[in-house]
Amino acid sequence: MFTRRALLVLVCFALVLSLSGSILAAKKVVITYGNFSAGKDNEPTLNAMKAAFEKAHPDIEVKLQSTGYGEYFRVIQTQVAGGTAPDCYELNYENFVTFAAKNVLTDLGPLFQSAGMDFDAYDENALRAFNYKGKQFGVPVSYSVVLLFYNKDLFDKAKVPYPTNDWTWKDVIEAGKKIRALGDDIFGIIQGVHFWEFYKVIEQNNGSLFNADHTKFTVNSPENVEALQYMVDKVIKYNIEPTQAQKSNQGDWDLFSAGRAGMLITGNWAFTYMKENAKFPWDVVVEPGNKRKACHFFSNGLVINKASKNKDAALKWIKWLSSSRESCTLRVNAAWETPPISDPEIIKLYTSQTPPDNRKAVFESLKYLVTPPVVEQFNEMAQIIDVQLQKARDGEKTPKQALDDAQKELEQKIKL
Amino acid sequence: MRRAIVALRTVSFYLVISAVAFGMILPFLWMISTSLKEHEAVMILPIRWIPERVSFQSYRDIFSISTMVPFHRAALNSLLVSIMATFVTLASTSMAAFAFAKLDFRNRDRLFLVFLATMMVPGAVTMIPNYLVLRSLRLLNTFTGLVLPSIYNAWALFLLRQNIKAIPEAYFEAVLVDGGTAFTMYRHIVLPLAKPILATLGVLTFMGTWNDYLWPLIVLSDPSKMTLTLALNNLNARWGEHWEMLMAGNLVSMVPIIIVYLAAQKYFETGITVGGLKA
Amino acid sequence: MYAGRGGRRALTIAVFLLPTIVGFVLFSLTPILRSLYLSFTSWDILQPAEWVGTENYRQLLTSDEFWRVMGNTAEYIVLYIPLMLVSSLAVASLLNRRFRGVLVYKVLFFLPVLTSWVAGSLIWRWILNYKYGIVNALLGFVGIKGPAWLDDRLWAMPGIVLASVWKDVGFFGLIFLGAIKGINTDYYEAAAIDGATPWQRFRHITLPLVSPTTFFVLVTSIINSFQVFAQVMIMTDAGPAGATQVIIERIYRYAFQFYKMGYASALSWILFAMIFIVTYVQWQFQKRWVTYDA
Repeated sequence: MFTRRALLVLVCFALVLSLSGSILAAKKVVITYGNFSAGKDNEPTLNAMKAAFEKAHPDIEVKLQSTGYGEYFRVIQTQVAGGTAPDCYELNYENFVTFAAKNVLTDLGPLFQSAGMDFDAYDENALRAFNYKGKQFGVPVSYSVVLLFYNKDLFDKAKVPYPTNDWTWKDVIEAGKKIRALGDDIFGIIQGVHFWEFYKVIEQNNGSLFNADHTKFTVNSPENVEALQYMVDKVIKYNIEPTQAQKSNQGDWDLFSAGRAGMLITGNWAFTYMKENAKFPWDVVVEPGNKRKACHFFSNGLVINKASKNKDAALKWIKWLSSSRESCTLRVNAAWETPPISDPEIIKLYTSQTPPDNRKAVFESLKYLVTPPVVEQFNEMAQIIDVQLQKARDGEKTPKQALDDAQKELEQKIKL
Repeated sequence: MRRAIVALRTVSFYLVISAVAFGMILPFLWMISTSLKEHEAVMILPIRWIPERVSFQSYRDIFSISTMVPFHRAALNSLLVSIMATFVTLASTSMAAFAFAKLDFRNRDRLFLVFLATMMVPGAVTMIPNYLVLRSLRLLNTFTGLVLPSIYNAWALFLLRQNIKAIPEAYFEAVLVDGGTAFTMYRHIVLPLAKPILATLGVLTFMGTWNDYLWPLIVLSDPSKMTLTLALNNLNARWGEHWEMLMAGNLVSMVPIIIVYLAAQKYFETGITVGGLKA
Repeated sequence: MYAGRGGRRALTIAVFLLPTIVGFVLFSLTPILRSLYLSFTSWDILQPAEWVGTENYRQLLTSDEFWRVMGNTAEYIVLYIPLMLVSSLAVASLLNRRFRGVLVYKVLFFLPVLTSWVAGSLIWRWILNYKYGIVNALLGFVGIKGPAWLDDRLWAMPGIVLASVWKDVGFFGLIFLGAIKGINTDYYEAAAIDGATPWQRFRHITLPLVSPTTFFVLVTSIINSFQVFAQVMIMTDAGPAGATQVIIERIYRYAFQFYKMGYASALSWILFAMIFIVTYVQWQFQKRWVTYDA
């Protein structure tokens, strides 16, 4: 008798527990957000954004899943393939197409519509990047461009006038030589010889990875060979750029902020870091070109997983994160890339901050923008090219040989 | 004179073996030294063995940076996963090994031979399909999925069967006389008598799981579920130039396994010798 | 014989075998067949697989990359095996005597074995650093200018080999130690009476008598050498310029980064075939040099 009553009590207890559990759960929707771009410097900013959002939306809790850039896309691909992807996540433009083509993202158009929202707030260039075959699968959350950073002290010491927007490759080499002469441990420029620089540098020389209608690779065209020759010469012939050994695992930003490089080609996402770590006056200009100017345009977007069960909550978060004035202000104040919205207030706030003084170079660069060469097998293509570029960089092959070999392998393996 | 020669020999022996041992642990000393430096002091020349200013900042960082996998979490995950895998391997293989050693059934030895043959197939062959199996079982990104393949271990099965075979029949007959069943035998004879080899297999499985990299890399993706090796990998992807943090993470990841080793040194050694001679 | 009779007997045996059989079917038998099937398809996981016959194998065997990977693996084996054998035999000989503190030394030699490859690789990447690494600092001490190791295509693989020998010498050293301890001391006493030098004793007694162990170590370590992975991923990321690309690294990359499951499976079967052949050849040749009776 007693045991039966005890059992009854237990069952009731369990019922109450599970009920209250589900009521509590219903009160608060938990969404997961996968991201990579915060890095170490902007982690507090992302936490502040999350806190501000949760304050404004007490019914939603955002769980951050942060992964380093180097591991992020592998992780997110594994999660998507395995059906365990976060509700919403960050994607950069070049990986976006791979995901959109595999049909694993939510079309945001209808979602926006039924929530009574529109895309008007976003900058057009940035918005277009996340449109795939007429469907808006993502919204931009930030964009960035690559600039020429320079150390004013080293330029003064070498008696070279500061770079301007009109500089070309020749100016870079001339200035680089003079700065290199300042010391055994001081280099003219740091740019790197790898895929990411390569596809842009060839554009500065009127080259391209593909033919006009994107049906054939043209990696070993004379323009491209000449461009790679320039990149390699800086390292080997003039040594105004450090070799791998001379770098010794020290990061590019670290080398520049330690005052060991006169110029550095890197993105405006380095502003936060340089502001804190560079103990000398520095500034930026639009990156030098050759036959024409060409500047990187990177854009990060936010997408919603097709299999997500909390799409409405996820939508609120990505819309807020990408375009609310509150979130954009936090982003601008932290100098964490550039908000992708056309709000003049935010743009003014962005350009008024220093360093660097010449922040308007970010907007000037947009005139020359080059987007990453996207194909479905993007990562594989990048790796094939990278291996050959490294061979040229280390002097194992001439630029011509390296690009010929890359062309051959790409034709074999990559479908266009 | 003779004594002097003996003493000289002893001294030179110690000198040689100490020099070799010192070479072996030099990397660890450098690791500890680096982990105690401030970031700015890591890349300076000439290199310094004793940090100018000792700093524990790197250790604070790896335990506290909020959006990263915190190391105590990763250590707990590793511990849990290693214990689970060890338990699963021992339970499953000891049962089957008992059957193969002492119970009669049709095609027993043929089946065992098939199992042995799978030892030749490298893990790379089964890695991709195993990932796909977990995917269809919806077990990706779970600890259950990570350790589930441990229920089949041909090598452990082989080793255990050899040992259980050596248990005299008289023990089992006694159980039979007392009216016991095969389960009684398994519990009261096999498990106690096979304890040393079970312990040996246990520590080896534990160490293997603790240090595994490729399989967790494929199965686990949620940062909060990452094991120590993945946490280190993630740390490297994110702060690869912060050597003081990487080295601090290394040290932290090594401490638990060293403790296990010191507690069970005997079993590690027999494990290696046994594994070495019989496999 | 102890399982009882009839239905009960069958049930008993089934219970004991169940976990292992389930595991065997789920994680060994079906995967082997499935990966064989996959190796003849083109599949990106998200869209349906497509039968392509032997195309994957043809592409693999005709690609420059495959032969580069084979060359890298061969380089690893040629450098690693002799170095590892000599040093683990040396460690075993050192530890094969009674002396105060032998346990402490054993622990010291064993520390690298306990270390995960992830941690070990990070340590070695740091100590092999061109400018700030202690290896080059020590070389500089004796007047040698050290190479850029992992950043230099010629020195990257030797760097990985150094780390691997460091990590494995304790393990194989202990195996050899077990074998040496098993040698009957009468041999040595007889040799001592005949006035044999320590080297002669090592050469003519120890070496032949541990040869079965040497054979085992050789077989296992060559199989392992074909499957090097973590150290390459972390120390060099398969660079510079592909100079340290190896088989498992390629399989991982193709399967889980490029999502070419079929291509990766084909590579895994080529790996299997190679391991099989190399091991078979070793078995055939063992009679020539392995002494089984003592």
